[in-house]
Amino acid sequence: MKTKEDFPEINARRPDGLKPEGTPYRVLIVDDSMFVAKQLNQILSSEGYQVVATAGDGLEGYEKYKELFPNVDVVTMDITMPKMDGLTALQKIMEFDKNAKVIMISALGKQDLVKQALVAGAKNYIVKPLDRKKVLERFLSVVAK
Amino acid sequence: MRVEYINPFVESAFNVLKEVLQGEVKRGELYLKSTSIPVMGVAAIVGLAGDVEGRVLFDMDKPTALRVASVMNGEELKTMDELVKATITELANMITAQAVTKLHELGFKFDLTPPAIFTGENMEVSDQDVEALIVPMETAQGKLEINVAIRERG
Amino acid sequence: MTSQTSPMDAMILERPEERKERADKVDFKMVTFSLGGKEYGIDIMNVKEIARANRFTYVPNSAPFVRGVYNLRGDIISIIDLRIMFHLPVEKREEDALESLLILRVEDHVFGVIVDSIDKVVGVSRTSIQPPHPIFGDINVKYIQGIVENAGKLYIILDIAKIFSPKAEKEEHPSRYEPPSGASIPTEISAARTGTARPAAADAEMTAGFVKEGLFSFRHFAVTSVNETWFRARYKEWERLRAGTDLQLHEEADADAFLEGFLSPYSGTLWGADYMDAVASFLPDSDLRSFNVWNPGCGKGYETWSLACTLRRKYPQSRVKIWANDSDLLAISMAPNMVFDASAVPEPYRAFLVKGMNGWTFDQAVRDSIFFEFHDVLNSNSLPPVDLIVCRDMISFLAPEEQKRVLADFQDKLKGTGLLILGTHETAATGAWRPVGSGAVSAFAKA
Repeated sequence: MKTKEDFPEINARRPDGLKPEGTPYRVLIVDDSMFVAKQLNQILSSEGYQVVATAGDGLEGYEKYKELFPNVDVVTMDITMPKMDGLTALQKIMEFDKNAKVIMISALGKQDLVKQALVAGAKNYIVKPLDRKKVLERFLSVVAK
Repeated sequence: MRVEYINPFVESAFNVLKEVLQGEVKRGELYLKSTSIPVMGVAAIVGLAGDVEGRVLFDMDKPTALRVASVMNGEELKTMDELVKATITELANMITAQAVTKLHELGFKFDLTPPAIFTGENMEVSDQDVEALIVPMETAQGKLEINVAIRERG
Repeated sequence: MTSQTSPMDAMILERPEERKERADKVDFKMVTFSLGGKEYGIDIMNVKEIARANRFTYVPNSAPFVRGVYNLRGDIISIIDLRIMFHLPVEKREEDALESLLILRVEDHVFGVIVDSIDKVVGVSRTSIQPPHPIFGDINVKYIQGIVENAGKLYIILDIAKIFSPKAEKEEHPSRYEPPSGASIPTEISAARTGTARPAAADAEMTAGFVKEGLFSFRHFAVTSVNETWFRARYKEWERLRAGTDLQLHEEADADAFLEGFLSPYSGTLWGADYMDAVASFLPDSDLRSFNVWNPGCGKGYETWSLACTLRRKYPQSRVKIWANDSDLLAISMAPNMVFDASAVPEPYRAFLVKGMNGWTFDQAVRDSIFFEFHDVLNSNSLPPVDLIVCRDMISFLAPEEQKRVLADFQDKLKGTGLLILGTHETAATGAWRPVGSGAVSAFAKA
């Protein structure tokens, strides 16, 4: 009798993080908290995304984006950060690359901040605490466009 | 502290702790304090601004902080390193932010400042002229106290 | 001009030539600006420059009127919002709107002050500056150097040095509380002690002492000068009531029985129209823009809602703000959303009620005037100076040293013209307070 082992590919799902051609989506994480960066890294890596860089504040995030462009597919941006906050960094990145895909991550939700971010060009918004399913869902919706 | 502000803090503390610690969380009796408050060993402070000014202080002892950080990171952490500190800071941020969001829905516009974390022995926090509301929380990892001191602006 | 004319009359009576002569001698220049709808001026010698700015760096934990600090070409100076400092209404500006700033220098201290709008430099002669009278300002008269008229406008000159110097100076003659003409004032101090020469046997005093202890241990009721008079009268009754049996208090029920009759009328319920009117009769007639009230020990809040309605009726034009506290969380947490049965509410309140889903509640204007706070009166608070303190039957339930502290705190927090209302059987008998109430309204003003 043939079992699941004989057909390993039948129900296997392609990991979200891989593009149709098989290469991973590249992610830039911008967050001042080591803990959040680590969590995001864990969630994304486990689904096949490749975290190409992490930045600790908005300014560094903007600089890294410019450096790595066009080899970054998605950026995650925390809102409260020292030196340059997430909204300002988002605006600067959008100015630099109007097709940039930025997802805001914050502990604050449902406020004018969300509206401001979306108006400024962010593609989506995730509220902390980070839920694995939610993070992956939002990422999928952003890269799939 | 204004009655309307109390519930959002109590509820957020309960919700966030329940979600990240995945275990039993119990709230103790609320009380007011107005003296130098001895800190248990690890204190994370988030500032509040906007319609009010003040701060929220998360207080716990070192072993509790280590256990909480371990659960949140999914691995056992034994020393008070940068990762543990970042984790506790993040916890403080999440609770305060959720409270602020709830308060926003009630019509109170508060804002947060980036959190700071203090660790040490025999620390004391003295707020001049400020009364603080203490919300004690009991978790499987140990006791945490949430210490909120707010006053209206103008 | 005779020596009997007041300076104001003198100004009006002087002949046109004299006036012109005076006006020509300009020896005082001031920068004029508007604040809360009125025109003010500051001696130009104190004004370093004028600026417009918006990005102030907020400094947490500073006083509410400190908006932050500002980088003035390299110097970091504090920015103070005078409107907040003087509790004047502030019009809401959008976040980044430029604020008008006056950069002032007092001694060698430089700081910035936010005002509504800056007008121009006005030159006047020092002789035309009139001394201040409280009627001219919403601000404490000690901050006013004088008043001057120029080109049809009246300017209040602020004494910047007084406003920003350390708080060491004592208040010089604040205006005192004067009861309105309709109020009934006792001709003798009815709340005074009836005299100590009561021939009481030594052990009767001891029993009274035990009763006092019982009251404190069961109900935390401390007998002090605040309620001694009531206690003595009640004790006499108690001796009669319990004649033949043990006078002492053995359990809570005994203490409660003794304390029967102590609580002020309408405790734990909305005030009746009679009490509302009685209280209103002692409130000064005033058309102040704002009226601040402190209501410690408000319990479930009935007293606060009653007070709010009483004040709305008495001062329909003023912005009334009531800070109501209690240290009993359970009691006060229900206060903001209290719901009533229409039939249970006395007539005078009906105008302020609106129908909600669960019953009748107070309308938004009344609700917005009250801040219910979970607060222990023994801790410090950040209230502004208040016009009225209503604290019925609370002090008696504090330990003796705490009672003194709280009364001293009331002295500090109450404006010179303010009124303190205690419980019907309580009195603030110390030299610092002067009784002005009568009947069920136990009211006191600052001595």
